Parts: sequence; C-alpha cells; structure tokens
Amino acid sequence: MMKIASTTKTIICIGTGGVGKTTMAASIASGLSADKKVLVLTIDPSLRLAQALGIKPDGEVYKVKNNLYACTLNHAKAFHEFVLKAASHSATPEEIEKLLHNKLYQQLSTQLSGSQDFSALFKLNEFVHSKEYDIVILDTPPAQHTWHFLHAPEKLGQLFNEGVAQWFRDPEQKDTSLLKRILNTGTTQVLKVLENLTGSEFVKELAIFFRAIQRWQTPLEKQVWDCHKLLTAKSTEFILVTALDPSRITEALRLSAEIEKQGYNLKSIIINRVPVWITEESTLGPVVRYVKYLKALEARLLGSKSKFGPHLKVYKSHELSHNQLHVENLSDIYHRIEPI
Amino acid sequence: MQKQQIHFVTGKGGVGKSFFAAALAQGLAKKANFSPEKNGPSKPILLAEFNDHSFYREYLGDKPVYFDLAQWTGGECLKEYAIHLLKIESLYKLFFANPISKALIDVSPGLLELAILGRATSFQRKHGPPLKYNHMVFDAFATGHFLTMFRAPSALAKIIQFGPMGEQTRSIDKWIRNPEFCHVHLVSLPEEMPATETAELYHSLKDEFGLTPKVYLNKYFFLKKEDLANEPESVKKYFTNMLEQQELAEKIFADHKIKYIPVPLIPEIETDKLLHEASEYLLKEVL
Repeated sequence: MMKIASTTKTIICIGTGGVGKTTMAASIASGLSADKKVLVLTIDPSLRLAQALGIKPDGEVYKVKNNLYACTLNHAKAFHEFVLKAASHSATPEEIEKLLHNKLYQQLSTQLSGSQDFSALFKLNEFVHSKEYDIVILDTPPAQHTWHFLHAPEKLGQLFNEGVAQWFRDPEQKDTSLLKRILNTGTTQVLKVLENLTGSEFVKELAIFFRAIQRWQTPLEKQVWDCHKLLTAKSTEFILVTALDPSRITEALRLSAEIEKQGYNLKSIIINRVPVWITEESTLGPVVRYVKYLKALEARLLGSKSKFGPHLKVYKSHELSHNQLHVENLSDIYHRIEPI
Repeated sequence: MQKQQIHFVTGKGGVGKSFFAAALAQGLAKKANFSPEKNGPSKPILLAEFNDHSFYREYLGDKPVYFDLAQWTGGECLKEYAIHLLKIESLYKLFFANPISKALIDVSPGLLELAILGRATSFQRKHGPPLKYNHMVFDAFATGHFLTMFRAPSALAKIIQFGPMGEQTRSIDKWIRNPEFCHVHLVSLPEEMPATETAELYHSLKDEFGLTPKVYLNKYFFLKKEDLANEPESVKKYFTNMLEQQELAEKIFADHKIKYIPVPLIPEIETDKLLHEASEYLLKEVL
C-alpha cells in the first residue's frame, strides 16, 4: 500500500496527461478517508468519475460517503469570487462593475490559462485554511501545464506589479496621449512600440484594465505569498502520476527533476495502468502480439525505476478502467497500489 | 511551388498528439515522393511544436530525415513579427528587454497564440519571412488551449478595430477558416473521456470556424471479442475491458455523427519502427 506521511495536510497530484490522474486523486482520497476527513478537488473529472462521486461541476462541496468530500472547481466562479474578495475593501460597486465589463478582463478571466490555475490554487488555499478537513487533495491540469500551474500566482502577480500599474497610472487625465506625458522617455518609447504593434485601442483597453486592478495589488500579493507558502510547506506532499508508455516515463522523469529542483516536496511516483494481471501465457491468437508488447513495456519499466531519485517511492497501479465506476472501486484502487 | 497547406494536430492531453503529428509529417513527405537518400537536405515538410521545452529533440533526435523540425514559441513569433513590422532593431530590443513589456506580453490573453497563428499563415498572407514548405504540420496545444488559440484572432479583432494589428488579426482569422489551406486533425483514444472531449471540440470547430476536422481513434485494437475465446482468463479479462472501452468511444462518435479513422495500436517500442508503421498506415488509409 502507498505511504502518506502522518503530518501531510495537502496532497497535490501532478502528472502527464491522459493517465487517469483524476481517478487516482479520487482513489487516494477515498482510501485515506477510512480514518481521516478528506476533500478532493478536481478540475475536470470524467463523466463516469463525476457520476461515481455524485458531484456536479458547480464548485460546491459534496459529501460522497462518510468522511469523503469532493468538489469540482468552477474556474469562472472562483476567479470572480477572488476579484470580489480582493476588491471589497478598496473599490466601489461601480468600479467593480466597470472592471467586470472590460474586454480584457473578460478574456483574462475565461481564457488565460494562468488565471484558471490561479483560481484552483486560491480555492485550495481557502479550503486548507478553513481547517475543515484533515487532508485536502488537489488534482492539477496535465503536465504541460504543471509549470504554468505552479507559477500561476507569480504570473498573475506580475499583472498587479507596481511597475506595470504605474505605467498606466493616469488619475485625472484622459487616456493615452496624456499618459505618455507623465512617463519617462524609455517607457514612452516602449509604449509607442506597443501602440505600433497593436494599435492605440489595445493600449487604451490595457490602460483601463490596469488602472482598475492596480489597487488590488496588496490583497493579491498576500494571496500569491500564501499560495507559495502552501505549495512549499512541509505538510504539503506532491504525487506524480504517469503511465507505462516510454514517452510518458521520459516526461515524468523530467517533470520530477524540475519539481524537486524548485524545492517542492515530491514524495511518490505512481505508474498507472500497469497490467500486472497477465499471469498466464497467451495462446497464439491475434492478441499475442499485444500481450508481448505489454510485457516488454513492463520489463522496461523495471529498468527505469532506478532513474527516479533514490528517495522517491515508485509505485505501480493496476489497470482498472471500468465502464461502470463505483465509489467502492475507488478505495480498491488505492489499496492495490503497490511498490515496485 | 505548389500551394501551401497547414495542419494542426490537437486532442486531449495524453492521446498521442505529438507522435501522430510526427507520423503525419512523415506520411506527407512520402506522399510528396520525398526520399532522404535522393532529395537530400531540402525538405518539403515542416514539423513544428509549440512547447517551451522541446519534446521532439528528445524523441526524434536533432535531425529527423523526412522533415525539418522547429520549435515555435509565442514569444519568438511575436518578436519576429515585431522586427518585420518595426524594421528597426534597436526599437524592438528596447521593447522586448523592458521587464514591464515582458510581463505585459506574458499576461495579455491570446497575444502569444495570435503570434503563432500569424507565423503559421505568413506565407499565404505574404507577411513576414517566407516559409516555403508544401506542408507545415503543427503539434498544437491540447483541446482547451487550442480553442483559445483559434479564437484569439477574432477575439482580438473585436478589441482592436483599427491599426495594423486590427488588419492582421482579421486576415489571420480569414486564413485559419479556409478549409483548402487549414486542416485540423483531432486525435482521440478509444476511451470515454477523450472521445467526449473530441466530440465537443469537433462541434466547436465546425460551428465557430466552419472547419470539419479529421478525427482519429489512436491506439485502436483491431480485435474482436471472438478472438479472445481461447485465451486464458487474465488475458481475456483485460482485452474484453479494452474492447468495451473502445465500443463506448465508437458509440459516442456514432451518436454525434462523427466519422473517424482508426489508427491501430502498434505493438512496437522503438520510435523509428513506430513512425515507419504509422506513416505507412496513414499514407495508405488517409493521405
């Protein structure tokens, strides 16, 4: 069985795409809920997993069974919540309304990948600090985004950066031409280039946007700092989920090295969907070449185990993708995770 | 020089997009009768990835024989566009060296994606350095991010009505909607979740951009349940489960009236052999 430190309060599941990471996060949550109160936060669960957990994608927390709770993050709602919370002390309802209608804000809140990641972290932070649960497990977006994900707070923090805000600060005067007057020559040049590249309207939209958000710098910086503290805390544990495919293993090796280099507490690697069940020899039917292939992959896996750092625990998990997934299957998956 | 065509390969994360894009590039090279022995270094096909960290350099090595390899990042494409437009090196240096503009570009929604599309369509629009390839294959972003990228030109065109960027965005938008020029290849797996996501993206691309993507079911098992009749229990159990998943995906496509092309699971570990088999299959069945 898989080991989780008794002091762990937050688990972050990262992984390469399409390897059953979300189901794994839910399985670990289900397994741990035997003696702890656990909340699993998912971003985009499959239909069968959502049905098995009995949750809707509305950002609400649902009780699944006994000590197990689950929530599908609703990005737009979470981001909106954050904006309102950050603005509550410093902006009037009209000002907030104006920002919510800014075209750049609308794009930012719905389309920029960083903002989605940020709202996931914002919610995670909120749930951990509520102290309502013994353990909160977060399922993150796929690997290509893991990096963006972990840097989302800083990335968004840049938006509120004093320098950027100052750039567009224009308390009394109106819009871009006057804007330039209050800037130093270097910045004026840069702004001119930006205008050349994008047209003056884009710059105008930017100016409105930045002026609207600059006052939230302090609450946002606090959030960024809190998220960072949470991600690097001793009580936060990272689990990397990957699959048997050679290119997935390569990706996982790279990801694990990067995660550790950044000082995150990576403890375990789970190789998912390892078909350990083929115990008998196949006949010579059409299936034989597939069986040989799967066995060759598994043999290769044993070879790559040593490439992960010696302090990392490497586990494998059985292929158990059922068309019908029941809550009871989830704990079963957890209990059948075994060390390689 | 024949007309250029561009190919975006997308799909849910982990379905084998990058592998498929490489196989497609190799298949297109073979179709153009390109032979590494005869034609030498001048290649008619480009395979480009948008990752910040190159996947292909690890996977294919530095110099694949059938196509040129490139890594296009948004930042680099934007820079190229800026140089082309501004023509004054010191100006763009000043602009891109400024930490504030860097932060601004990083967070401006859709700007980097737009720059990539700008380069992808630059040959047709006669704008920017020419990329004289017959086909350019892009290992593009996964589903959601891909849609964000495709929506970037029209979204930005709404914000920027005038000026050079307004014109550019409208012309980029026009070209990516041209089905003779721009092709979307949607890769999926024979499982419920990738299939559902594929169906959604298929409809979005059709409804919003008038494009009909080609849909592929990757790692398809050409097996029947009868083939398993004499197999031992553990083997039967595993493959029955796989076939049930596959049937589920096929049913999802049937419900959505989506035609798909099965791409077989190739039981090979070595990259060269895999690419060879897959490109031959695509050449025979698709191209």
